[in-house]
Amino acid sequence: MLILKSFEPYLFLLPSIIILFVFLFIPLIWNVYISLHDVSILTIIKEWNFVGFKNFYNIFSDYNFYNSLKVTLVFVCGSVLLQFGFGLLIALLLNQQIRASGLFRTLFIIPWTVSTVITGFSFKFLFDDSFGIINYVIEKVGLESIGWFSDPNLAIWIVIVANTWYGAPFTILFLTAGLLSINPTLYEAAIIDGATKFRRFFYITLPLLKSFILTNLILVTVWTINFFDLQLIMTNGGPLSSTTTLSLYMYKQAFEFGYFSEGAAVGILLIIMNIAVALVYLKLFDVRNKKT
Amino acid sequence: MENGYIMKKKRTSSVFVSSKWFFAEKPVIYILLFTYLFLTLLPLVWVLSTSFKSNEEAISLPPQFIPTNPTFDNYLFVLTEPHIMHSLFNSFLVSIGSTILSVAISALGGYAFARFHFKGKNILLSVILGLFMIPVLINIIPLYIMFSQIGLLNSLIGLILTFQILIIPLNIFLLKSYFETIPRELEEAALIDGCSTLGVLRRITIPLSMPGFAIAAVLAFRFSWNEFILPIVLANKPDSIVFQVALYEFVSLYSIEWGYLTAGINIAIIPILVLMLIFQKQMISGLTLGAIRH
Amino acid sequence: MAKLKILITVSFAILFLFFISPMKLIPIIAQEEITLTAIFAEPKERWDVLLENATKILNERHPDKTIKIDYRVLPYSDTRTQILTAMAGKTPIDLISLDQIWLGEFAEAGFLSDLTSNTQKWNKSSDWYVQNWEGGLYNDQVKGIWAWTDVRALWYWKDLLDKAEINPDELENWDGYISASNKLNQFLQKDGIQGMHLVGAAHSPDMWYPYLWMIGGEILEKRDGHPTKQNYWYPTYNSDFGVRALQFLKDQVDAGTKPQINHYWGQEFADKKFAIMLEGSWLLGQFDKNEWDTLKEKIGMIPMFPVPNSSNTNTSTLMGGWLLSIPETSQNKDLSWELLTIMVEPNVLIPMLLQQGYLPTQKSIGEGEYSAKLKSTIPYYEELVSLISLGKGRPNIPEYPIVAEHIRNAIEQVYNGMDPKQALDEASKQSAKALGW
Repeated sequence: MLILKSFEPYLFLLPSIIILFVFLFIPLIWNVYISLHDVSILTIIKEWNFVGFKNFYNIFSDYNFYNSLKVTLVFVCGSVLLQFGFGLLIALLLNQQIRASGLFRTLFIIPWTVSTVITGFSFKFLFDDSFGIINYVIEKVGLESIGWFSDPNLAIWIVIVANTWYGAPFTILFLTAGLLSINPTLYEAAIIDGATKFRRFFYITLPLLKSFILTNLILVTVWTINFFDLQLIMTNGGPLSSTTTLSLYMYKQAFEFGYFSEGAAVGILLIIMNIAVALVYLKLFDVRNKKT
Repeated sequence: MENGYIMKKKRTSSVFVSSKWFFAEKPVIYILLFTYLFLTLLPLVWVLSTSFKSNEEAISLPPQFIPTNPTFDNYLFVLTEPHIMHSLFNSFLVSIGSTILSVAISALGGYAFARFHFKGKNILLSVILGLFMIPVLINIIPLYIMFSQIGLLNSLIGLILTFQILIIPLNIFLLKSYFETIPRELEEAALIDGCSTLGVLRRITIPLSMPGFAIAAVLAFRFSWNEFILPIVLANKPDSIVFQVALYEFVSLYSIEWGYLTAGINIAIIPILVLMLIFQKQMISGLTLGAIRH
Repeated sequence: MAKLKILITVSFAILFLFFISPMKLIPIIAQEEITLTAIFAEPKERWDVLLENATKILNERHPDKTIKIDYRVLPYSDTRTQILTAMAGKTPIDLISLDQIWLGEFAEAGFLSDLTSNTQKWNKSSDWYVQNWEGGLYNDQVKGIWAWTDVRALWYWKDLLDKAEINPDELENWDGYISASNKLNQFLQKDGIQGMHLVGAAHSPDMWYPYLWMIGGEILEKRDGHPTKQNYWYPTYNSDFGVRALQFLKDQVDAGTKPQINHYWGQEFADKKFAIMLEGSWLLGQFDKNEWDTLKEKIGMIPMFPVPNSSNTNTSTLMGGWLLSIPETSQNKDLSWELLTIMVEPNVLIPMLLQQGYLPTQKSIGEGEYSAKLKSTIPYYEELVSLISLGKGRPNIPEYPIVAEHIRNAIEQVYNGMDPKQALDEASKQSAKALGW
């Protein structure tokens, strides 16, 4: 009975561990296996030959890979900056003494509750070249309508905007939590000491928000790197592969070209990238993750 | 039984005097908030308005906010398509099943992290955190092959199990945080009285954590209801298709009937919206509370 | 309070489920029930028509069974993806629609069952046009039946050409085509109508090949010295012929024609958004059936792609269409084969061809005993059928879909200003690699 007692935590964790192991960890190992073999549409139901790092070599010699890296850089930086910028701004504003802040918060969450399919199609509709309402308004004020989805330089920004709309609520909530955790007496003391709003923000709010900002940035960045739903739905990677991020590149390699092993290789690279990004953030913020 | 911890946290939202940005004048704040609100709601309102227009009117110029000939035809079309209704039903089954399963599993796991000290705790916690780094897509092919060999392909059970990987890490953290806010004294008192650990869980901890469970459930439902990449590969038969996939495939790559599509979109939003409205207070306070303890 | 909310939620959920569950499909339990599954490509109407009749006939032939067809109709690229994943996971599928360009790939991968013995017993192969029958062969085995085809021709609105004072004959050569597009754009711009239609969508290579072929170029050529296969296909689409052909497309863009990213299968022409469109014969399906007998008065058709000079170059066109195949994973191969044969029976196929404006792959329908109905119903039928002999198909090899992607990319680059030779050279380098060189 006593022995059982000491095993209790492990028993409690067993279901989670089993599911995560079977459905997440094993496929991951399998993926590594696939990335080292020749698995394509032509060989999938036949024999898989071992090819070592050839798939990685193929990826590195594909100029589309480097294009996707570039697009990913733009996409991630744009999305993270915008999401964080808006998220922080709104969180700060909502934290003022204003009425109906609860109502505002509820309404602001709505984009995050809809699916990526919905987001993608809604923005596709809004920004359509011929019948989109955005272009209609632009023409109404006398400017020329813009080919949002046909211009290789613009298309990625529309996807970024849609992604920001979709993801900002998470940042808003997360940073709100952080702001709420700050003890108000600190501000009261600062006001008594005569600190300006500016100084209160930079010397009290920001430092105390540090761990929240760090976690938020890591999560948002990693999620954005892995994300490809909107790119697939809104532009299918075009025009001229200008919206083909690395994640979408992986999807296309596997499912459009049938190069499963190359797709798996890109996936491995993505995981490495994610870990690297997380480490970079941790270093930048100079915080050692302490677990309680 | 009052939960002192939770009460304390709540009070901060009403009397808070936070730091202010330099343009702290009230009118400016309201203007900014309303602008952002407008931007937030514009896409959805526009989609809503379009759903009441015929397919031709939907893409005609000039676009009108109020449809000139409002019609329910689009909704009728979508709701009477057996294929789509079937997918709606499937989505419900999968989402509800997935919610129940994930909350149960995460509750157990979260409790373990919250209350016990055991070997490997920190490592395990980091591992679960680290799972966020893995793009879900990368596992689709192995999962597909695995499922086809076990016979879980195109099954709702298969989907329910797979969706757990999206939800469990998040919910474990959420519920762990919630359990940590419940005073140990209450549980210890019950233990002294001779209650088993599971009994404590059942009679004391769980009733007190209802708000936490509510959010965990809402989040689980949201992830399951909105997911479309996994089902598109793992459950692509008409019998087991889910709504998001049906919506996506409803649309041709070449020509889109926007009237039908926007109607479908609105139907997809309804369950989540309703859930959100009912649980809005819990959702917000719970999400933020969960984060605080992190 | 939380309990109350949970109660409300659960009640709502039950109500919602109650509301939608009656609309769920209720299976009919009778006799021996067999459900055949199929994956088809859009558009949906053609399959609805075909399968309604074919299923009825199939059930009549098997009174002891109740046979249903459970078919999914998907966008083009999703069809390919779904077939791919189904085959990879050994999911049983009974019937699929194959684009001719996938045949080599899918056959090589082992996805398609061998229909050779079936077709020998069936003994109908002689009725097929030779190119269409051979298009379903891989390594001398029958892997697919080419059910219908289409050719691409030049269509124009007579009144719009009159308005711009353009003689249709001018459109027959490259220089005339360009100058006509200038004139049309001038006249029609204020009406919001575009002169020429130029394809910028995913199938842009298909609309470029005729130009390549008519001046003597080829997409691929067999060469010796292949690392593993001794003798295999090598990309030759970046030859001078290719560059010249692509230059013609570039000239169109420079003359003011905008490449169209979206494609509506001819609907955009039927809606008079364009004065001239090179489009497949399916364009006819976009017009109302009751308009068909007077269509020739409004719409003109030239059975060709413009040629470099009007004197001695033969035109060319692309032949498309869909094949029907039975996957290796099917567990009802005999029944599926029977269904397939019924679907291509003239009595079943013709109503669909009439509705959609497709062209037949069987001589008896094209020119023989069944052709009368088609000739009298489908406008320009005989002219279109005459194009079939000038039509070429795309290569049947496993790597073709990838090569097509490279070519599509090159075309897109040229639309955006790149030099044709550079674009084609870059693409062919990638294709060579994909082909194993």
